[in-house]
Amino acid sequence: MAFRYHWEDFTPGWTYESPARSLSKDEIVSFAREHDPQRYHTDEQAAIASPFGGLIASGWHTATVAMRLMCDGYLNASSCIGSPGIDELKFNRPVRPGDALRYRATVLESRPSASKPDRGAVTWRWEVLNQADEVVLSMIGVQFFLRRPQ
Amino acid sequence: MTDSFKYYFEDFEPGQMTEVKGPTLSREEIVEFASRFDPQPFHVDEEKAKQSIYHGVIASGWHTASLCMRMICDAYLLDAASMGSSGVDEMRWLIPVRPGDTISMRMTVLETKTSRTRPDMGIVRHRWDVFNQNQELVMEMTGVGLYRRRHPGTRGSEG
Repeated sequence: MAFRYHWEDFTPGWTYESPARSLSKDEIVSFAREHDPQRYHTDEQAAIASPFGGLIASGWHTATVAMRLMCDGYLNASSCIGSPGIDELKFNRPVRPGDALRYRATVLESRPSASKPDRGAVTWRWEVLNQADEVVLSMIGVQFFLRRPQ
Repeated sequence: MTDSFKYYFEDFEPGQMTEVKGPTLSREEIVEFASRFDPQPFHVDEEKAKQSIYHGVIASGWHTASLCMRMICDAYLLDAASMGSSGVDEMRWLIPVRPGDTISMRMTVLETKTSRTRPDMGIVRHRWDVFNQNQELVMEMTGVGLYRRRHPGTRGSEG
């Protein structure tokens, strides 16, 4: 299979920034009803009385928005074969209805696999920014990619 | 609005555990979630998934995480005076979750401390483990829950 991006393409400092994608109140409530039905994610009235003063998106919703923007931006054109996990996932600021979110990726580190010569690991900083350029979510992620066939 | 919750900060103590059963995942649910949020071939395309290193469709790790969040809500969080979370220190996807798997969650309280800056708030470090039907650990996560205190400004010991 021909991929546009292989492990070799993601060298430290490589960056990507996605177009903005806005999150509606309906999307926020619908995701939260299914996956995170805390009152400040699902109930506009109760959210006003909550510590957040209004409806906010589940942090998991914001994280999945980042994942989708990543797929659309470059990941589905890559030889990615999965991820072992995430570190330092931070919900820095609330995401509110109407916020326009952008996803930004930066390669922090890249190393070939010691045991499997056909692949390598990439360590990333993944961030979500709002329309005021504030980082609303950030995390460090690792992914494995196949190396470019010789 | 005067809320009354079953669990406040003071109700969490290191070593406490809570377990809750979760759903059985169908292929359709796995593909549907991934089509919306993580449309990598091995999550959405059976044929490509068969040829991948996973030899079949597997759930997005974000799907497992979202289901974990729902189990957290069902187990205790909807009854708690939650003030949100500052984040997750570590999340590991250890074993693929596949169609037909039935998952469950176990929460362990690791540490509790009052907030220095917010006398009405306490900080609880949790560990959340997600298992499949064979009791294999498929995902583990440690992170923070913020909770309102029953007795702001004091270290309450009442249950």
